Amino acid sequence: MTDRRVVVTGMGIVSPVGIGSEATWDALTAGRSGIADITLFDSAAFEIHVAGEVKGFDASEFMDPKDARRHDRNTHFAVAATGEALRDAGLMGDNGLVSGDVDADRFGMVFGTGIGGIGLMLEGHKILLERGPRRVSPFMLPHMLPDSASGQVAIQYGLRGPNMAVVSACATGGHAIGEAMEAIVRDQANIMLGAGTEAPLVPLAFAGFGQMRALGTPKDPDSGEYSAPMASRPFDATRDGFVVAEGSAVLVLEELSHALARGVGPIAEVIGYGSSADAYDMAAPAERGEGNQRAMRAALARAGISPEAVDYINAHGTSTPLNDRYETMAIREVFGDHADRLAVSSTKSMTGHAMGAAGAIEAYVCVRAITTSCIPPTINYRHPDPELTLDYVPNQARAAKVNVALSNSMGLGGHNSSVIFRRYEN
Amino acid sequence: MTRRPPPPRDPARRAVVTGLGAITPIGNDVATFWANLLAGVSGVGPITQFDASAEEVRIAAEVKDFEPRDWIEFKQARRMSRFAQLAVAAARQAIDDSGLEIGDHNRDDIAVVVNTGGGGIGEVAIGQQTFLEQGGRRVSPFMVPMLSPSMAAAQISIQNRIRGPVITSVAACASGVQAFIEAQRMIEHGDVDVVIAGGTESAILPVAFAALSNMGALSKRNHEPEKASRPFEADRDGFVFGEAAAVMVVESAQHAVTRGATILGEIAGGALTGDAFHISAPDPSGYGATLAMQRALRDAHFEMESVDYVVAHGTSTPLNDATETRAIRAAFGAHADRLAVSSNKSMIGHTLGAAGAVSGMVAILAIRDGIVPPTINYEAPDPACDLDYVPNISRHMSVNVAIANGFGFGGQNAVSVLSRYAG
Repeated sequence: MTDRRVVVTGMGIVSPVGIGSEATWDALTAGRSGIADITLFDSAAFEIHVAGEVKGFDASEFMDPKDARRHDRNTHFAVAATGEALRDAGLMGDNGLVSGDVDADRFGMVFGTGIGGIGLMLEGHKILLERGPRRVSPFMLPHMLPDSASGQVAIQYGLRGPNMAVVSACATGGHAIGEAMEAIVRDQANIMLGAGTEAPLVPLAFAGFGQMRALGTPKDPDSGEYSAPMASRPFDATRDGFVVAEGSAVLVLEELSHALARGVGPIAEVIGYGSSADAYDMAAPAERGEGNQRAMRAALARAGISPEAVDYINAHGTSTPLNDRYETMAIREVFGDHADRLAVSSTKSMTGHAMGAAGAIEAYVCVRAITTSCIPPTINYRHPDPELTLDYVPNQARAAKVNVALSNSMGLGGHNSSVIFRRYEN
Repeated sequence: MTRRPPPPRDPARRAVVTGLGAITPIGNDVATFWANLLAGVSGVGPITQFDASAEEVRIAAEVKDFEPRDWIEFKQARRMSRFAQLAVAAARQAIDDSGLEIGDHNRDDIAVVVNTGGGGIGEVAIGQQTFLEQGGRRVSPFMVPMLSPSMAAAQISIQNRIRGPVITSVAACASGVQAFIEAQRMIEHGDVDVVIAGGTESAILPVAFAALSNMGALSKRNHEPEKASRPFEADRDGFVFGEAAAVMVVESAQHAVTRGATILGEIAGGALTGDAFHISAPDPSGYGATLAMQRALRDAHFEMESVDYVVAHGTSTPLNDATETRAIRAAFGAHADRLAVSSNKSMIGHTLGAAGAVSGMVAILAIRDGIVPPTINYEAPDPACDLDYVPNISRHMSVNVAIANGFGFGGQNAVSVLSRYAG
């Protein structure tokens, strides 16, 4: 075993509540929702047509317009968020490539996604059905794969170390950060991006999730009036489903001595990662969040800390009846009495559920909560559920010192990942 | 190459292979696959899974006579995409082959790392057709949980009640090799005792053929399918798209010895690199591939000269095969001329996310049996491809150390080192 410590030295984000780290944090701490009516396609035929869309995003600000046209939206987000993260970490060179001061062969990434370039794939398939095979774009295939984003990010910034995408449905983001951390611990790299990206806002996804009866109703549960932001109300007694969202978040993870040697102050430390499977059902989570419990326990063991050391849990908190109930039970099981002293909030109350990017977005939130001593709230929380009795930081951000924060992510198929961050101390 | 070598491995935590499973275009079990591979049998033929008469490319390496119900309860099989069905079947074989018994005593300490390129892309195509023709209400509620690329690993976990980490990574055509690298790391690191590791792909679909053939990536030799995949040969004109799943049981040496399992070989090391060059073409210098081979061998504590056999990526595209040859020469220097280099894709086509897993399995079988399968359809030499490709006829030779190469769209390079386990 090695003693290589892994720290966060930069972050970048594109989210439904803002483009960029500052804009996103301002919105999250103000409790502003990014959920609204869908504008990316004509959604009139759908019963539920709200989403967490990234607003005002122009890919050509972040990449060559010709490249941008060939790439899927999830790659656009990934490239944009990575650019911000590299600048934040002091790793951007003058020519738009990674700074020549670090070894690009030892700088890699685990860039997760739930479904990759589904938009491009559907466009191609529509052309195939309507106009025949000869009209399908030769660019479609290499640009629609789940690892197309990680490929393009490597190309655009010249990052030549270990490179892959992980996929574990909605647990992806946590797995990406955990696996990136492990690559550094195992001395496969000095710097790794731990990241997630997703652009799932296509009609077919809405049809699929709609048929699963998984989506939240955009209605004020008290007045009965139409309200897009109210569709996501994690842990509230009236919650009835999640809201599909898009975005990307990138954490620059770096081996501690490598960061210090180039004179960079660590933002926070990644100390734990746990991963488990429910081995239970393709869609429903295991009873009482049993798999989630094992992931949290594994992450605590990996971090070598007791449950009492944790101050804040950024919950998976999707706003589905089952997830929020089981996640609450799992937190109680793992943390015992300390569960009542934890702050637990769901970023998805504001952003919606960005699938494979969610875990990375929420890891960003954990790091910011540590550095700013401010915990963003769970908004739309009005009706306590008698069974769900944790402190969900309702509706208002809270000033609180956070030394250790844990992020939970769970996915269809029974994937669970938990990642733990700690305030950096020498 | 100024970095210090990795610290020596803990012998107890070396990653050994104890079971194999495969569903391939030339056999739905390992024994049949291996016999056909050694005999030089091609699995390429006309596409039967859809009407391809309108396509420019009408050939593929399809899995034949696969009956999901032989492996999976009927109702569950119907809710599983074909790529997941193939993987569940291959995993079943591998677990049986290894004699591993899964129970409450160990189910939390077993991981599944089964990778893929496209996952349940077929479900997307079906779902969209339904959506366009019949509307959103007719889309299957099972579409979303069927299509996710993570579902092969998840279904292996569910079907076998395995509750450790379940991970799917996607590195395009490097995915399969990447699974073995990940498995070895997890074992070495002590995360788990056993990893069910491999790759799967099944995407014999109109949209995939249209896209790949419009890229100019596929061989157009429709008139003689079994000759279409000709890696390293002068007249190669692209790859043949195939489907397969290959899965290995990988465990710590200590765990395997303690339970008295037969050890078939060892995953001694591996490495991943990115070209950072182009979204579909390899870096013509082969730098990223060379670096991956060198780093993989350093990771495994082997000299370059100790390698006997290279299971090549060898896709049969003009660019890959010349670049890979160049990269092997750059990595191995003079030793390159003493290597046996062969491409199983000459027989089973390019199975994308499964390809590297098949190659890793081929390396283990070559080590076990002292025989190297050929590159078939090798007729006219290409001056740009001047290694010993084991042309057309399998070769008896002792193999102690082999590497499996997997290079993907977007410049992902993965190399796994497999070796004889000496105890």
